Amino acid sequence: MGTNVRKILKASDNKKQGKEEKRKWPAAPTLFILFIAYFILLAWYFLYVRNADTMFFMQDRGWWNSTTLFFKECTRVPGGLLSWTGAYLTQYFYYPVLGTLILIALWLVTFIVAKLSFKVPNEWSFLLFIPMVALLCSVIQLGYWVYILRDIDYVFYHSLGLFAALLLSFPFWRFLPVSEKVQGWIAFAWVPLVAALYYPLGIYALLAAVIVAVRTSWKSVIILLFALWLVPLLETSGSTLMRPDQPWLYGFRKFELDDLRDYSLEIPFYIALITPVFFPFIKYLQTKKLWQSQSIMLVVAALMWFCLSSRDFKDYNFHAEMRMQRGVEECRWNDVLNEAAKVKGPVTREMVMFRDIALINRGEFCSKRYLYNNESIQPVTVSDSIHIRIADQAADLIYFNYGETVFAIRRAIERCMHYGYSYYTMRMLTQCALVNGEINNVKKYLRLLSKTTFQKKWAEKMKRFVEDERLIETDERFRMPLKLYNEGSELVGTDDKYVELTIMKKWMYNMTNDPEAQEVALGCAMIMRHRNCFWSQVQQFYNINPGKYFPIHVQEAMLFEVYELGMEGVNLSFVKFDQRVVDRYNAFTERMKQYSSQGMNEQQIGRALRPEFGDTYMWDYCVLRQVQTN
Amino acid sequence: MKKVSYYLIVLISTFLLASCSKHPSLPSSFTSVDAAPTIYPDYVGVTVPPNIAPLNFLVDDVDDVVALIASPDGEQTYGGKENKVQIDGKEWKEMLASAKGKSLSVTVYTRKDGKWQAYKPFQISVAEEEIDPYISYRVLPPTFVGYDELSIRQYNLTNFEETTIYNNRQISKGLEGQCINCHSYQNYGTSNMMFHTRFQNPGTMIVSDGELIFVNLKDESMISAAAYNSWHPYLPIIAFSTDHTMQSFHTREISKVEVMESASDLVIYDVKKNRVQTVLNDSLELELFPSWSPDGKWLYYCSAYHEYLNKYEDTDELLQQYKTLKYNLYRLSFDAETMTFGEPELIYDARAKERSAVQPRVSQDGRYVLFAEGPWGLFHIWHISADAQILDLETGELLNTTALNSTLPESYPSFSSNDRWILFESRRDDGNYTRTYFSYFDKYGQVHKPFEVPAEDPEFFRLLLRSWSRPEFMKEPVRITPRQFYEKCLEEPIKVSQ
Repeated sequence: MGTNVRKILKASDNKKQGKEEKRKWPAAPTLFILFIAYFILLAWYFLYVRNADTMFFMQDRGWWNSTTLFFKECTRVPGGLLSWTGAYLTQYFYYPVLGTLILIALWLVTFIVAKLSFKVPNEWSFLLFIPMVALLCSVIQLGYWVYILRDIDYVFYHSLGLFAALLLSFPFWRFLPVSEKVQGWIAFAWVPLVAALYYPLGIYALLAAVIVAVRTSWKSVIILLFALWLVPLLETSGSTLMRPDQPWLYGFRKFELDDLRDYSLEIPFYIALITPVFFPFIKYLQTKKLWQSQSIMLVVAALMWFCLSSRDFKDYNFHAEMRMQRGVEECRWNDVLNEAAKVKGPVTREMVMFRDIALINRGEFCSKRYLYNNESIQPVTVSDSIHIRIADQAADLIYFNYGETVFAIRRAIERCMHYGYSYYTMRMLTQCALVNGEINNVKKYLRLLSKTTFQKKWAEKMKRFVEDERLIETDERFRMPLKLYNEGSELVGTDDKYVELTIMKKWMYNMTNDPEAQEVALGCAMIMRHRNCFWSQVQQFYNINPGKYFPIHVQEAMLFEVYELGMEGVNLSFVKFDQRVVDRYNAFTERMKQYSSQGMNEQQIGRALRPEFGDTYMWDYCVLRQVQTN
Repeated sequence: MKKVSYYLIVLISTFLLASCSKHPSLPSSFTSVDAAPTIYPDYVGVTVPPNIAPLNFLVDDVDDVVALIASPDGEQTYGGKENKVQIDGKEWKEMLASAKGKSLSVTVYTRKDGKWQAYKPFQISVAEEEIDPYISYRVLPPTFVGYDELSIRQYNLTNFEETTIYNNRQISKGLEGQCINCHSYQNYGTSNMMFHTRFQNPGTMIVSDGELIFVNLKDESMISAAAYNSWHPYLPIIAFSTDHTMQSFHTREISKVEVMESASDLVIYDVKKNRVQTVLNDSLELELFPSWSPDGKWLYYCSAYHEYLNKYEDTDELLQQYKTLKYNLYRLSFDAETMTFGEPELIYDARAKERSAVQPRVSQDGRYVLFAEGPWGLFHIWHISADAQILDLETGELLNTTALNSTLPESYPSFSSNDRWILFESRRDDGNYTRTYFSYFDKYGQVHKPFEVPAEDPEFFRLLLRSWSRPEFMKEPVRITPRQFYEKCLEEPIKVSQ
């Protein structure tokens, strides 16, 4: 740094410090501490209170293990060290409280480093939180992008990068017992040295170099430009895992998928990368009155709240899907059904399928399915940039629970190819391999899971099935999938990404003598409203359950099919009907005719009938004409 | 106090030195086990080439392991981290050199809960004949449709070094990735080689006498762009199949996938003249997997007879009848002067045995044909009962390959350039992830117990969540860099002529 420039800056520093002493604002530290508390509360509220399910989900779709191979795989591209560390820390959202605390602690440490490094006065310290809030926003705004994120380290990567950049730009040379001139040279040399950390730290090494340069002198800026251009070129020249046309951007998250690019989701990263460059200049901000800076602080605080609450992805179904998925995985059928019962509006098809899985496992598929809302909608997307489908979400879990283990494996592996391996996928692959009897494959997956931090216990539990495969026949997790696997027919085909349709179409034709599996087949025929399949399955139900009452919804469907839809040639005299079902059916048709004669259209009739008959097959059939499969 | 510190330092240093030593000491007391140890990879009783990299291995469920390896020139102990035995590369080479044509004896000592056991020594035979030093293969998750993460890599069998030939991540964008496949070489060299790129920047990347060209190998006369291929051993000619590929999935069978060709023909492509010539296009035959004999006078291939009931290429019909597709092995004579082919000659009637034979490769002496045989179809790596087979053209009989095969799929076998080593892919490890194996094929026509490609970390393939598929032998590494392939790929491919 030039001696003259240094002197001027130092004089300016001294002058400012003197002024501060004179002003002696005791309110500043108090408000500053209050702002820190405010930030902690913000982070806690949006990460834990609002998004605990999302955070758990994100860690579950992440992947970290303690092997050297994994470390090598992570560090094959620039930013790899951040990636590995980020993936490691993301695991802690297995307990969302713990993960949230770690992330907040990291942000606070980052803040302290920045405050000390740039000597930011208390009254302006709130500005240091801007990149952290941006990164908080980047975590909670994703919506359905969480299903297709390739980054196993997303939650921590950028926060770690920011921390590393600020730490590396700390002016340690000012504390060395050497002359100012030597200090200047060290600062000068530090710019390319920091930039050279591009390989472990990605773009955040370049950010550190920029900060070091702007806080020293114009000479540093020259070497900075040279380092920014050259270092990524040199360090990425041998890498075959990245696009050679983009060597400078490793570590910058782009939200692109095929031809789509959602720039709005990238805004937090622009903020996180640009604002720290101005940190060295905050100390030069001056106001005559404390209230001026503190008013700005209030505005910033309000803006932070506004941005976070408006970008937070609040869609109820999005969160409910995650809770239901976890419930299905953990065989908490009651919780899944409670979640399904709580939903007020239309539901996604994935929610319908999770609920049906719970009903199947409780043997209530044909007796309680229509008690729940089947009115469905497509998942709400963020900025309309992605159209998510069950195939991208939890197709493997759904296939597994219908005993379609091969299709489940296919979807799991496809997702690994597109979006990377995850704990979730490894568990799915393990379970499918167990049902298929591919024990060596099970061992491989368990070996890997046992090298993780929080999946060890699960892997340990699964080992007993490896030692004695027969145990899966009675285990809650495997009992029904194994039964459906054994009772399902062998076909060759593909799903074309239509998960629900594939399952329904297969099962409505499937003839089985197992009562539980047959109820699934009967239920699928009803969902598909396929008359021939329905009556074939009714006949089969009668054959294998002689003398037994048909489930309530099947009774409703039979009455509706024969009397309302005019199914000819069906003799219902052999069927034992529950009188309450008959009465409700009669009341339903009566009411329909009444409303129809009043000139009401289909939609109006549907709405009018819902309070009384919304829990019947008939209402579902008449009102929910267009069943959306996804 | 000083003395105590001194002894402490000496003690710690000794301990550290001992633990870091590449030659651990043998346990002083142990119990003997009258059986060979179960090790991974299974190298017990295998025959290996004298230029192979160290056969590092591990023993499951033990705390420590030491191996005593005895060669004709002496013996040495090796250990590693916990349950692994990792052998020094330089010393291993010396041991192999001294044991050429003889064998190494390996005694394994394991420690569990503080107690040592010594297993019965096992032998590793060292053949006289070397193996080609390189293999190349595709690395990908065991996926079925997606291809966003694919690379072709090469591995030095003598020292574990792995490098990338081409990686589609250089060019792929989003989910619209680039598929890369069918890498092949002329006569085990890399001055003439090729691979296809599909979907994104599609074409065929050909290295011709060291020069890189990018070709669109599709013209109106062809069913599709060129696919499975084989370089003529000395002419600048590549034989291709062109085909319509389809893929379906089982709902219950753990074979998982069926790959079918609803139509296929054979063509040859003259690299220098940039010209395609049709070889076979019988609409009732599905001709596939062309493979030149090493003398260049025969073109081997496989073909399945299939007549569509509806008289058109009905993929639904084929899907119903996929089990009826049985491929036989044929060959055509080839006149290099006139560039003409003779009539198809059936050399192996797999259909008569209710089997399907594909992927023929002929030995350098022209006597043996190595191929993969499965219950039906062509993609045997997904067929549980698929095996590698060897047909003796002199006797017309199959050799006994029991030692080579397993109860899980074996596929894509090939001979080394000296015929003494068979390279094949197998899913025997876990049923899902394809791994590369070698088997010694001695001059008496005997196959020997195969062994997995050695890895520096013996746990590597157990942890790897990707398959190594479609391995090929090479005498030398590919010298064109991935960047050069990438840059060529950005160019417009040249069109072929008839």
